[in-house]
Amino acid sequence: MSVFEQFPEITIHFSKIFGTPIFTKHGKRIGKLNDFFVDYEEVYPTVIALQYKRNGLHFSIPWEEVKRFNFKKIIINDKTKAIQSKLYQNKAPPRKITNILSGHFVKKSGPFPPLGQIVLDRQIVDTHGKKVVRVNDIEFIKVGQNIKVTHAGIGLRSLIRRLGFEPIVDSIIRLIRPKAKYLTRDVLINWKYVHTIADRSVHNNVKLNLSNQDLKSLHPADLADILEDLDGHSRELIFNELEPEMAAKTLSEIDPDMQVSFIKKEAPEDVAKIIENMGPDEAADVLNELDDARAGAIISNIEDPETGEEIQELLEYKEDTAGGLMSTEVFAVSPDTKVSDIMKIIKDNHEEFESIYDLYIVDDNEILLGTCSLYKILIQNENLFVGEIMTKQHIISLGPSVHWKKLSMKMSKYNLINMPIVDSNNKLLGIVSVDDVLPWLLNER
Amino acid sequence: MGKIVILLGIVGPGLITANIDNDAGGIATYSMAGAQTGYRLLWILLPITVALIMVQEMSARMGIVTGKGLADLIRERYGLRITFYSLFFLIIADLGNTMAEFAGIASAGEIFGISKYLSVPVCSLLVWLLITKGNYKIIERVFLIGCTVYLSYIISGFIISPSWLEVAKSMVVPNVSELTSADMPIVVGLIGTSITPWMQFYIQSAVAEKGISTKHLLYSKIDVIVGCFFMFVVTLFIIICCAATLHDVGIVITDAKDAALSLAPLAGKYSSVLFGIGLFNASIFAAALLPLATSYYVCEGLGWESGVDKSFAEAPNFFTIFTTLIVVSAITVLIPNINLFNILIWSQVINGILIPLILLYIIHLCSDTSIMGEYTNSLVYNLISYGIVLLMFIANSFLTFFEFSKYFL
Repeated sequence: MSVFEQFPEITIHFSKIFGTPIFTKHGKRIGKLNDFFVDYEEVYPTVIALQYKRNGLHFSIPWEEVKRFNFKKIIINDKTKAIQSKLYQNKAPPRKITNILSGHFVKKSGPFPPLGQIVLDRQIVDTHGKKVVRVNDIEFIKVGQNIKVTHAGIGLRSLIRRLGFEPIVDSIIRLIRPKAKYLTRDVLINWKYVHTIADRSVHNNVKLNLSNQDLKSLHPADLADILEDLDGHSRELIFNELEPEMAAKTLSEIDPDMQVSFIKKEAPEDVAKIIENMGPDEAADVLNELDDARAGAIISNIEDPETGEEIQELLEYKEDTAGGLMSTEVFAVSPDTKVSDIMKIIKDNHEEFESIYDLYIVDDNEILLGTCSLYKILIQNENLFVGEIMTKQHIISLGPSVHWKKLSMKMSKYNLINMPIVDSNNKLLGIVSVDDVLPWLLNER
Repeated sequence: MGKIVILLGIVGPGLITANIDNDAGGIATYSMAGAQTGYRLLWILLPITVALIMVQEMSARMGIVTGKGLADLIRERYGLRITFYSLFFLIIADLGNTMAEFAGIASAGEIFGISKYLSVPVCSLLVWLLITKGNYKIIERVFLIGCTVYLSYIISGFIISPSWLEVAKSMVVPNVSELTSADMPIVVGLIGTSITPWMQFYIQSAVAEKGISTKHLLYSKIDVIVGCFFMFVVTLFIIICCAATLHDVGIVITDAKDAALSLAPLAGKYSSVLFGIGLFNASIFAAALLPLATSYYVCEGLGWESGVDKSFAEAPNFFTIFTTLIVVSAITVLIPNINLFNILIWSQVINGILIPLILLYIIHLCSDTSIMGEYTNSLVYNLISYGIVLLMFIANSFLTFFEFSKYFL
């Protein structure tokens, strides 16, 4: 006999099945369905137990004891022993399959909370749409004798369904616009893209071991947007788990006003690790927002003394000037470098430079002698010296105290992707590239 | 020095929220209180201020500790249904309140002889542009500048120069024996307009948005206390101004415009002008913040994108709610011969029903250790808070009763 007798529907909505009365085979009513315990280790978690409420107390019954399951009533075996607890202890042996949610519950021995409590009405990260959303409803599907979680509903339709207005709203819309998209479509997130965020209250109940594998594969700019939308607690949970390199890339993309709040609580040595992985110009921007004592503590914890010094120097400039915007990671060589050697430098060290499109030729005292484009290097004979092919006349450069507006006007006028910044002796200090100026032009600062 | 910089970064939400408390409706209530009862009711202001500080402090603390808005927390703790119905009534109450603010703009314009058909459309456009085109930083700064305009009431107070000794005495010594039954509508009016539901949502979201760390909880408390104290001083001066002039001669006024106009022959043109400016500033200030706060918390609770820094395509619901509130309010105020009284009463009634409920949510959330951790309310704090809820409930029931009896009897 099937569990799903008199139950033709394929999909089940949490909102609709919630509150269904539960009876024993003998017809004794024992409570109302309150929530589901699922196997978080699966990509599409299977329901392993039901939670019901009776006199304000929470009980759980394993799915195997369920004999009949439909919208009208749920019937369970007579002799079922319900366990009174808000959590559920899974007795089944742990499986090898891992997925997004399972990462949260790595500690397999511990009991875990029900699905609705950690997902419904809470914020989750939609790793496919790359945004933070609030869950209105959860969709299940019948598979054999089991039900599995398939989607999180976040659209207007699921909102109205939760409120119980679906029949009314549906009939009104069917009357006015029978072909309205609303009637056939809901905004759903496939469960494999759902990343739940453990919040404080869940934290108290279960020791969660966070894994953010799915978030780490996002583009840092997307991750930054997601973090900006989250509250401080969730932000910390995710950000503190990131590798220093990913943390650095993400931090560079965060709104400057918010950057400080990300590194406020961390120890200076941890922040130093993140700062080291950022470009010196971006690092200086972040440190600029901190008070001097804190910034100093972080800089002194930077392992590479050269990086620390560069950042320290950049901190001296005002952030809206060329000096504040420039990067010190310049692709600079001496005039007696061969074209073939340059190609080798690019191959070996390209990660260190902010840009490889323009090459700067400097003497032993770092005085700017000329510039040369990558284009020129590519088409010239490899045996020539760069000093022979560089442009010496009309080198456009600016001082570090020039305001960003003037800087961007010059760059626009001379069609420059990179603007070299020099001191009064024409010593090369750094370059400002177009993408350093863009946020200012777009008024994002 | 560093500490001052941190403090300045945190100041804002508390100061702005407390000042919005002195909106068009508030100023009308205070003016009438001064004109009708003189200095007799000044002692009520201190307990009101303390209650306001406590409530605002709880909201601000929740914002800092959780990093979430009040609507967020209500949704996560009590589910969608409760959130939806609370928000539904809040929108209605706020729509009524926004209309009151636009009515305030209209009467402030009329003090200076500007037709409401000019002042209301221009101001609604200004407000709309400020919110949609400006970013959060600029908006907060404009609001902070707006706060300083409230000083105009204090200046008026000094121009009028009442007997300060009498003021000080009536402020500290409760004068319960002289309370008459005719004073009651004013007493409950003062209490009822002091703590409004939407203010709690606004302050919590604004604090959460700033991302203040729990280390700086103290600064945020200073912000709240300074804000509420400033509000107290402004309220005090409005009452003093009207008491020292209108009450002494026995002029009866029915709204804030009356107060400003009646001041001219008694206290000179400057006081009248300053009152007019104050009313205009308070009205336009609240007319901008109320719709903004409403759209913020509605979107928060229902999980829609929100934020003044987003585009219409990114956050359509946010901008729709905001724009609708402004447009509907402005148009309603401009309908010739409209009786705003109905609308104002009903929004007052809904406000009165909602505030004890919202306060109960706040206290309940603030006492939940799983949400607040080590910053949970103490037992004593809770007891006093429940006392405030009871007081608000009683005051608002009476206020509703008085408004209705004025209307029907």
